[in-house]
Amino acid sequence: MNPTYLPNSWLAQQANRFAPALFFIGLVLLWELICRFGNVPNYILPSPSAIFMAFFDVEFSRWLTHLWATLRVALMGFALSIVIAIPLSIGMMRSQLMNRVLYPALIVIQSTPVVAVAPLIIVLLGTDDPSRVLITCLITFFPLVVSTTTGMLETPPEMIELSQSLRAPRYRETWQIRIPYAIPHIFSGLRVSITLAIIGAVVAEFVAAEEGLGYFIQFSTSFFKIPQAFAGLIFLSIISLLLFKSIQWIQAWFFPWSLPKKQS
Amino acid sequence: MQYNSTIENKKVTDGSAKAAYVSMKGVGHKYDPRPETPMVVQGIDLDIHRHEFVAVVGPSGCGKSTLLRMVAGLLIPSHGHVSVFNLPVTEPRDDVGIVFQKANLLPWLTVRKNVLFPLKHKYGSYSASDEKRANELLEMAGLTQFADKMPDELSGGMQQRVGIVRALLLNPDILLMDEPFSALDALTREQIGFDLLDIWKEHPKTVLFITHSISEAVLLSDRILVMSKRPGTVLDLIEVDLPRPRSAKTINSPRFAELTDKIRGYIYEPNVPA
Repeated sequence: MNPTYLPNSWLAQQANRFAPALFFIGLVLLWELICRFGNVPNYILPSPSAIFMAFFDVEFSRWLTHLWATLRVALMGFALSIVIAIPLSIGMMRSQLMNRVLYPALIVIQSTPVVAVAPLIIVLLGTDDPSRVLITCLITFFPLVVSTTTGMLETPPEMIELSQSLRAPRYRETWQIRIPYAIPHIFSGLRVSITLAIIGAVVAEFVAAEEGLGYFIQFSTSFFKIPQAFAGLIFLSIISLLLFKSIQWIQAWFFPWSLPKKQS
Repeated sequence: MQYNSTIENKKVTDGSAKAAYVSMKGVGHKYDPRPETPMVVQGIDLDIHRHEFVAVVGPSGCGKSTLLRMVAGLLIPSHGHVSVFNLPVTEPRDDVGIVFQKANLLPWLTVRKNVLFPLKHKYGSYSASDEKRANELLEMAGLTQFADKMPDELSGGMQQRVGIVRALLLNPDILLMDEPFSALDALTREQIGFDLLDIWKEHPKTVLFITHSISEAVLLSDRILVMSKRPGTVLDLIEVDLPRPRSAKTINSPRFAELTDKIRGYIYEPNVPA
């Protein structure tokens, strides 16, 4: 079978084009059918229609409050981890000593489950934003450090020789060659980190919060309002997807040269 | 004025055409100082004179590029002496330009900005007159219409032309070219060879040209250093007495065939003097 085989009838073409959407719709329908005809109670597994109705059980302004709380923590944590990770990577790339000292520490931080550390951070920093932002930052910054460092170290030796042949100062080698070269790597790190940021924010809300989608899901579950919890989960997925997409848009808008070349 | 290093400023001011711009005496190199590690290149003696075009040919891995890096000041030889304008080479110099293999352009800069990159990188900024000079160089290389394009929008041959123009920006007296056309297809390669000769006529430079193409070396250069396989030593230094300007006709001349055959003899029967 030729894998690039294209169906030629109009119907088959449309089916092929919308296959991912059709698969998704089919899955939701199947779920609905199982819930309806299998007599699954709503507090065990709510049907898609019940989840949809649950959106309207909560006031719109309440949704916005929760959404904003989660988004705010996620973005602050993400921003903090960018501010920490990129200078840290530059430092580790430039200084062998810094690399030797910091790398093991980073590995230790990364291998410690943040979920387990979260309650301790709350004890340390209190139940307000700073501890939630720190938890988010801890979860997001490692992929950024790894991708930035990798990108800078993978700079082709000829580009470095070009810099050396000009006897340019080292900081310009970093700013004008290594960092631009690392942009595609940095963006793949950012894409991983932004989705982790949502996870971080939710983890923090599970531990201590009075608002936010993570808090809302936990709260709803404890009152057996399972359809509402699912509705909150859908909001989480949507903002996570939108954030992921916005990283791609930012890259395409500001650094179009860094995108993989289209096969023509 | 940053890049106007004129010949008058140089130690070599005797005005004679035979003054050595680049001089190598007993040059050898090994990357590891332990006695058991082999030399990469060994016993290289070569003087390159003002506005001379010298090519270095040899099999892959014979240390041709190592030689170039030593003249460039990117690598300090473990044996012997390399000097440029009678001064030992201890670091890269402003009056030596390098054209790298595979163009080595920065994909995030436009063609014009790539050409201006040496100034931007070395001094942090460039002036309007620098920009004018970049435009003139681009025009000379027939690249004006591509000045605002990104490097990946250009063909390999065009990209390497940009690489050459970039090396000319600081107006170096000496141009080092490290297998600059090896990534190009045969037709483009021949064309860009003639283009290089045109550019060289307009901007005479002292050139050290590394290649593994015998015909390219014969077509372009005044003298050819033929190197043995590793450890690279000098097998012969051949005077190319073909008249200039050279063109496609040169390739068909009997003398061209004689010279290429002679070099080919060294490459295929290494270490046997002809």
